[in-house]
Amino acid sequence: MNTVNASQGKVLIVDDEPSIRRAIRTTFGTLGFDIAEAVTGEQALPLLRASNFDAVLLDVNMPGMGGLEACREIRRQFPRIAVLMLTVRDDEDDKVEALDAGADDYVTKPFPIRELVARVRAAVRRSHAPVGQANAVITIGEITLDPPRRLVQKNGQAVHLTPKEFDLLLYLMKHAGLPMMHARLLSAVWGPEYGNELEYLRTFMRQLRKKLEDDAAHPKYLLTDSHIGYRFREP
Amino acid sequence: MFLAAYFGVHVHVNFATTGFLHLLIVVLVAMIAGFWEATVTSVVALICLNYFFVPPVYTFYVSDPQNWVALIAFESTALLVSRMSIQMEKQARTAVLERRGMEKLYELSRRTLLMNPQQLPGPQIVAQICDVAQVDAVALFDAARARVDSSGSASPELEAAARDAYLQDRNEDDAERMTWQRMLRPGTSSIGAIVLRGDNLNPLLADSIASLTAIALERARSFEKQSHAEAARQSEQLRTAVLDALAHAFKTPLTAIRTASSGLLEAGRLDPAQEDLVTLIDEESDKLNVLSTRLLQTAKLEAAETKLRKEAVLIPQLIDDILAQHSDQLDGHPTQVSITNQRCATYGDRELLGTAIMQFIDNAAKYSPPGSPIAIAVDDRDGQILISVHNEGSEVRPEDRERIFERFYRSPGSNHRAAGTGLGLSITKEAAEAHRGRAWVASEKGKGTTFFLSLPRIERRVS
Repeated sequence: MNTVNASQGKVLIVDDEPSIRRAIRTTFGTLGFDIAEAVTGEQALPLLRASNFDAVLLDVNMPGMGGLEACREIRRQFPRIAVLMLTVRDDEDDKVEALDAGADDYVTKPFPIRELVARVRAAVRRSHAPVGQANAVITIGEITLDPPRRLVQKNGQAVHLTPKEFDLLLYLMKHAGLPMMHARLLSAVWGPEYGNELEYLRTFMRQLRKKLEDDAAHPKYLLTDSHIGYRFREP
Repeated sequence: MFLAAYFGVHVHVNFATTGFLHLLIVVLVAMIAGFWEATVTSVVALICLNYFFVPPVYTFYVSDPQNWVALIAFESTALLVSRMSIQMEKQARTAVLERRGMEKLYELSRRTLLMNPQQLPGPQIVAQICDVAQVDAVALFDAARARVDSSGSASPELEAAARDAYLQDRNEDDAERMTWQRMLRPGTSSIGAIVLRGDNLNPLLADSIASLTAIALERARSFEKQSHAEAARQSEQLRTAVLDALAHAFKTPLTAIRTASSGLLEAGRLDPAQEDLVTLIDEESDKLNVLSTRLLQTAKLEAAETKLRKEAVLIPQLIDDILAQHSDQLDGHPTQVSITNQRCATYGDRELLGTAIMQFIDNAAKYSPPGSPIAIAVDDRDGQILISVHNEGSEVRPEDRERIFERFYRSPGSNHRAAGTGLGLSITKEAAEAHRGRAWVASEKGKGTTFFLSLPRIERRVS
């Protein structure tokens, strides 16, 4: 958006580990991203003010204000920017906290670069998506969803969904590529008084997978984020 | 005696007075010398009385029958009184001895309580017995340590006697050689034996010393056990902390390596050989990552740091999901699932339980002949859910059945056969314990191996 050339986007890496900054800088550079670096959250904020970034990669464990606090601050000052948090340990609490702090997504170190790039692209796309097209038809892979007509098709074949299944799928596809926490899905689809009924959600996801996936055991579209929630495959 | 008689004759006192005077002398002799001396004295007194006082005097002849009665009464009284006085004296002496014995035992018990728990109990106990009870020699056999400690003038013979006493399981008193042999039984079973030698001992004292020794030994042993447990706990804590730190320290370089290797692949400007090598780096760094993640997982489980996200988990559904998600890891083994109650549920962490059960299935696939079936059963009984995973692999050696659940333990025969981290089953065990359940294995030659996981069942609301 900010750059007109072939750049894939402008990304700020915030991590106190020089080797990780170096590895990401070089690979992202090769893949066509514009890269800037910061060592701490305190360093990152002035950089974000000085120039337009599409996404921020933010380490959770950093000296100073720390990743989560930095994330909240970035969210407050720059609501449209895509924030991805890098968590070191495979600890679900970190991930939940990251999403709660306003991050669009998280990636667990060490990550294959393909996954990181895909996540960054999905997040950037989200942050650039024009507002106010709630009723636009969404097509991802073989699946097409038409919100006003409440129609779902797979490879052109109509798929019959119950109203709640449709609402759930709509919400997931609108946020395709991003993790949706259990509680968020429950309150968005069932209502604000819901949040802990994991069994509900599992049952519905099971049904959706049976109806939409070729092999429900190995879903291609409706993916599970262990302990966190679900995400629809990025477009 | 003769003096008393002479005095009696010359001062002209009567028969009764002289009689009492003689009686007094007999009692005094009894108290000072003893019963037999007093008896002799009383007979002499009788003769004197007869000769000097009983008419006709200066003869041994007694004319009046009344005087016969008096003389017999005198002799009987003299014997009776002297006997009684001797008994009293004896009782007083025994009381003093017993008091001293009690004092010794009290002192001994006090000192055994103050023993240094850091040092061996045996040498301390025998030294105290010698010192306090003042026996000539003492030998103590401590069965748990299989060692003999002795003190005083103990000979190898006495030490052997202590060992034999334990082996033959018997108490023996040898008053002639002044040795006392006692088993040490703080409870129902014997933990050793003690042999005491000394002239100041009696069966009662020997019994008491033996029970004090038994208690002291037992106390030392339980103290030792406790400190072992404490040491084990501390080393486990240390191990966990080190593992945690290591796993974390691995992650940063691994991230850099993985980013670089996957970035190279993504850039896509490699010739086939280069691509092959970079793929190798990428895959191997991923393996390292899996290993360090598992290390972290066990370290956290053992440090009880993991917060379990507990919910009602339907076990049959969980097993369905696991089999569906991990069908590639089954390596072509067909599975047979039998479930008695489709609604049985436990309250637990779904993810962790899934990992635990997956380890069993993974294990079964790795260690059984290619293509052989894996049987999974869920049984619901006595408030417990019993999950079993059976494979037709070779027998797990009896000595390995506990140890395969230990971290990093791989049974000697397994090293060349299957790839594994040596962590899987330890995770299952930790997971089981975190859910108040249990994990174990049963194995028999020719019948295969079955892994079990039992979990508490909950009554589930119908949703």
